[in-house]
Amino acid sequence: MSAVLQKSAKAEKGALKGAIRIEDVVKIYDPEGAAVMAVDHCSLDIPAGEICMIVGPSGCGKTTLLNAIAGFHSISSGKIFLDDELLCGPEKPMAQPGSDRIVVFQNGALFPWKSNLDNVAFGPLMQGKLGKKEIYDKARSMMADAGLSGTEHNFPGEVSSGLRRRVEIVRALMNEPKVLLFDEPYRALDSLTKSVMHEALLEIYYKNKVTIFFITHDLEEAIFLGHRLVIMSSRPCKPKKIIDVDIPHPRDYSVLTSTRYRQLMDETIELVHEEAKKAFSAGEKEG
Amino acid sequence: MDQNQTVALLKRSMPFQTVPSDMLDAIAKLARYESYARGDVIYHQGDFADDVYIVSSGTVQHTLGIGFQATHPEKILHSGDVFGWAAVLDNQRSRLAKTVCMERTELIRINGEELINLFRASPETGDIVMSRFATMINKEYTMPEEVAGHVPHFTQVPVTMATGLTLTMFRLSQWLKSPKPYLMFTGFGILLATWYFTVEVWKLPRFVDMPGLTVVMKEWFSKDPVYGLSIYTPEYYQHIWVSVRRILIAFFLATVLGVPLGLFLGWSKTFREYVFPVFETLRPIPILAWVPLAILMFQGSETPVIYLTFLASFYATALNTMLGVETIDESYSRAAACLGASKWQTFKEVIVPGAMPFMFTGLQISIGVAWFSLVAGEMVSGEFGLGYVINTSYTMVRYPTIVIGMITLGIVGYTSSALVRMAGDYMMQWRVRELALGGR
Repeated sequence: MSAVLQKSAKAEKGALKGAIRIEDVVKIYDPEGAAVMAVDHCSLDIPAGEICMIVGPSGCGKTTLLNAIAGFHSISSGKIFLDDELLCGPEKPMAQPGSDRIVVFQNGALFPWKSNLDNVAFGPLMQGKLGKKEIYDKARSMMADAGLSGTEHNFPGEVSSGLRRRVEIVRALMNEPKVLLFDEPYRALDSLTKSVMHEALLEIYYKNKVTIFFITHDLEEAIFLGHRLVIMSSRPCKPKKIIDVDIPHPRDYSVLTSTRYRQLMDETIELVHEEAKKAFSAGEKEG
Repeated sequence: MDQNQTVALLKRSMPFQTVPSDMLDAIAKLARYESYARGDVIYHQGDFADDVYIVSSGTVQHTLGIGFQATHPEKILHSGDVFGWAAVLDNQRSRLAKTVCMERTELIRINGEELINLFRASPETGDIVMSRFATMINKEYTMPEEVAGHVPHFTQVPVTMATGLTLTMFRLSQWLKSPKPYLMFTGFGILLATWYFTVEVWKLPRFVDMPGLTVVMKEWFSKDPVYGLSIYTPEYYQHIWVSVRRILIAFFLATVLGVPLGLFLGWSKTFREYVFPVFETLRPIPILAWVPLAILMFQGSETPVIYLTFLASFYATALNTMLGVETIDESYSRAAACLGASKWQTFKEVIVPGAMPFMFTGLQISIGVAWFSLVAGEMVSGEFGLGYVINTSYTMVRYPTIVIGMITLGIVGYTSSALVRMAGDYMMQWRVRELALGGR
């Protein structure tokens, strides 16, 4: 591990940052005069450094919440704080996107016209915080740490989708964010690749403690990765039940065969299934 | 099986198709020949994976073990198919499949480690072969990408950005080896034969006044042309040059003005509200309808023609560039915003390169319509140029010269759009490589 990384890891251990507080957030879409409530008086506290899994059927409005935190969408009422600092609220309905909260997108958003290395270096280069050489040195060492050596000069389109996801996470971590927002990033991957990605994500998380806000509809993924599961009700979106996953970290794939995992699966599957049925009968478009 | 047969077999197999011949010879030296009877098992799942196999003749049933996530675990292999690729994966030392011969089968086998050592010496070829292996494992054997990702990688800096020319040369040599050029010549042959037979042999009624193939060719290549225009007369090149110069000026202006206009139309909603309706009202007006105004507006004979040529190109370029900006996935701009890019940086780093594929489609259309409107313009006004040649040759009853002008237009027009395409490939290496991996 490079000196730069050790330093940043130490800095983060000192004071863990990235607590998200969502207070009574409502989001109403009003596209053609017919108001649709996407998020309904949602409140949620996520302590710094937690992996919080937001579980709900497709199209239940989870992404709306993520977009509000990231600063892509406005909210209708309520407040969202990051480390007691107001991101958006009544005076300021839309948060300013910034490198303290970085989204890993559903279909991946590595720039296909930039090499993997240039993608990773993109954030700091745009912010102009460091010198060019320092940025590229840091990018190379972070890619090496994540097992991405040898793919620096490939374009994203030339490597496997699993590798692309890893590059995207490294690109986010380059900016030393407080929060990573995952929008069902592994949805399109097959289950074998997915399991490899989960372990890789945890490995990265143990090295760089950040808060992770992770949207998924895959219960197995949710229990394996998360400290807590927030089961969302279908539209309008609202936390229905919060479940603590009391399986100690660090975890590896043997967790999937443990009895506790089975129990948690049994407890949650009924809840999720109920919401999925509701969403299905309401005929929601997946999104 | 001798060396030549082995090389021929390698050439037919998907991973080794593009390998240069000296390398193929070296690989062929590693190959050992083997023959199996019907029902023989070549290897079982879990056996030590040492060699890669290529079927020379016969049929092999290849069954991947369950649990490897192949969507179609069973595959029947024929001559030229490659299997036993576990031997080149960097994390795999045992067979993933069971292989049984379904009839008398002849194979060559190549030791995986020896093969990889060979590639270490010429890493660039090695990377191409291995990426083809990866594609084969993923596409033909339907294995997940993660498995295919375990083929080794040899170059530290695999391919530098400046591969435009090398890549083009490589493609040219590939093209010459494929049946494509011969089909192309056959196509031209049929066209010329139809022309020759209808006009000069069968003398069909409607074709009486048409200049025949032999007449046109004789005129075109004559040192002393009857109607005054052939490849030996300086006027011929003067006409070509005048047309090309007009195209260059018009195409340059259309690109320099059309690309930024398209980018801003796509990028700024407000700007678009102002400009797009005007743009859309002017765009459908045919170029020929502009001829009188063009002559009134501009002095002399040169500028009106350039203006007409410019106009059509400009619309095509601006419209396609705008569409290009619109098709950029919103995630890219959002990602850029997350990573701290300002609005202007997003424009420069995301919008411009993201719109490029459509932009170059626009430029291809643009150069095409440029020739179209150039000829229309030259027929109406102008003293030189290929359109002028065609028009005056008609009024002066120099029929073969009309056809010479037409053929020349075809050749020059084709060359110009090929140049635009090459410029596009050069500037969008990422796209060329992405498409190449998809086998396109």
